[in-house]
Amino acid sequence: MKKLARFEFPPELVPDFKKAKRLEWISIAYFISSVLVIFLTMGNSQTMKTAWYDDVLSLTPPIAFQVASRVFMKTPNKDFPYGYHRVVNIAYLCSAVALFALGAFLVIDSTISLVKTEHPTIGIVVIGGHPIWLGYLMIAALMWSTIPSVILGRKKLPLAQHLHEKNLYTDADMNKADWMSGFAAMLGIVGIGLGWWWADSAAALLISVDIVHDGFTNLKQAVFDLMDQTPKTVSGQQSDPLLDQVRDVLASQSWIKDFSFRMRENGHIYLGEGFVVPVQEENLTQHIANTAQTIEQLNWRIQEFVITPVPELPDDESA
Amino acid sequence: MADYLISKWSASSWLLAGALLLPACSDFPKDPEKTLKRVENGTLVVGYSENPPWVVQGNPEPTGIEPALVKAFAQTLHARVRWRKGTEQTLFEDLEKRKIDLLIAGLTDESPWKNEKAGFTRSFVEHRKKKHVMAAIQGENAFVMRLEEFLYQREAAIAQRTQP
Repeated sequence: MKKLARFEFPPELVPDFKKAKRLEWISIAYFISSVLVIFLTMGNSQTMKTAWYDDVLSLTPPIAFQVASRVFMKTPNKDFPYGYHRVVNIAYLCSAVALFALGAFLVIDSTISLVKTEHPTIGIVVIGGHPIWLGYLMIAALMWSTIPSVILGRKKLPLAQHLHEKNLYTDADMNKADWMSGFAAMLGIVGIGLGWWWADSAAALLISVDIVHDGFTNLKQAVFDLMDQTPKTVSGQQSDPLLDQVRDVLASQSWIKDFSFRMRENGHIYLGEGFVVPVQEENLTQHIANTAQTIEQLNWRIQEFVITPVPELPDDESA
Repeated sequence: MADYLISKWSASSWLLAGALLLPACSDFPKDPEKTLKRVENGTLVVGYSENPPWVVQGNPEPTGIEPALVKAFAQTLHARVRWRKGTEQTLFEDLEKRKIDLLIAGLTDESPWKNEKAGFTRSFVEHRKKKHVMAAIQGENAFVMRLEEFLYQREAAIAQRTQP
């Protein structure tokens, strides 16, 4: 059985990959600390409860990244001839479903607490013999759960773009956007202090709507990936310019009369098939091998490009 | 990018400035229903349900560990206490309707009323592995905080009184 070649990042990207892995380990350690800090100061504030779930969920992308990065580079074998790249997509889908479902639950939960006019009771804690209002500690905890997260997000973003790592990109993007929910949460707690009982549930509702939004964005991306959507740039905005380069290579071959091709993403890598109508059949196999190689050398992401000669293209098919 | 940075940092610094200024206000946190302001130099309405030695039925007013604490607390607020006897069931309903300000009944933090609309204080004494609390109106944080600070100052004395 023809197996894919073993995937490795090109040498110039190996330092970035190592850096990304290190940042994701730091993220895991950091979010665990944040989950603990929020838990210890949660009291019975709806905002803090939501912020806690938010932090727990923020753990899933880095964990998924670490697990997937151990598996996806495994050499393709008899049982998995396409390799293990899809592990990334599966990990991604799982965390997206969790994000979406929990977000929806929190929207309902916060709405109920708003409708039932729950007034959050926040008393004092005693630290080193000094009584202090728990609300202040909540704000401190929220700062810890926000500011480092934003910094981590900004550091991860360029790496995700270099590595063409969509999960890392979404993770970094979500971290970067954490300042909004962190800010809303802090306003919620300050609002409680000002005697606005509704500020707590309202802030919680805002944060959970944001979680649902993140969940939906991720879910859409994960489903599109598994449905072999045509390759897009990491930020998912437009189709990858690499496709144009492939088209240019095919168009510039003098032995090709007409052609059509398609590509799909498989984790980090692209797989593609080209259907070509040759001008004449002399040296055909040699031409095919050369052209496939040229295309595969365009970029490290193009792992395999299969060229099939056909007598003619279907009517509606044209590059 | 620069705009984004500026807006982010100005938002954060506003928040930081706000958070630092807040302790400067003397009345922070505030009560949504202004319980503390109403009670100060006024009347503290206390619901009680007998549960010796914490709350003991007396004439004309209850005695025991918790009523003594409540009386001393009311003194710090220059408030007089109006007592209202009831069962836990009726008193928690009264608390939800804000007919009473405070409920004492030898409650612990494992109370089955924990999920009712009530604001439980932090525990002021641990007795036989049970953490004892009082219940105030839900979300009246200035009042709850004042009460908790008072109870915290009396912790050592209460612990001594409840020694077996």
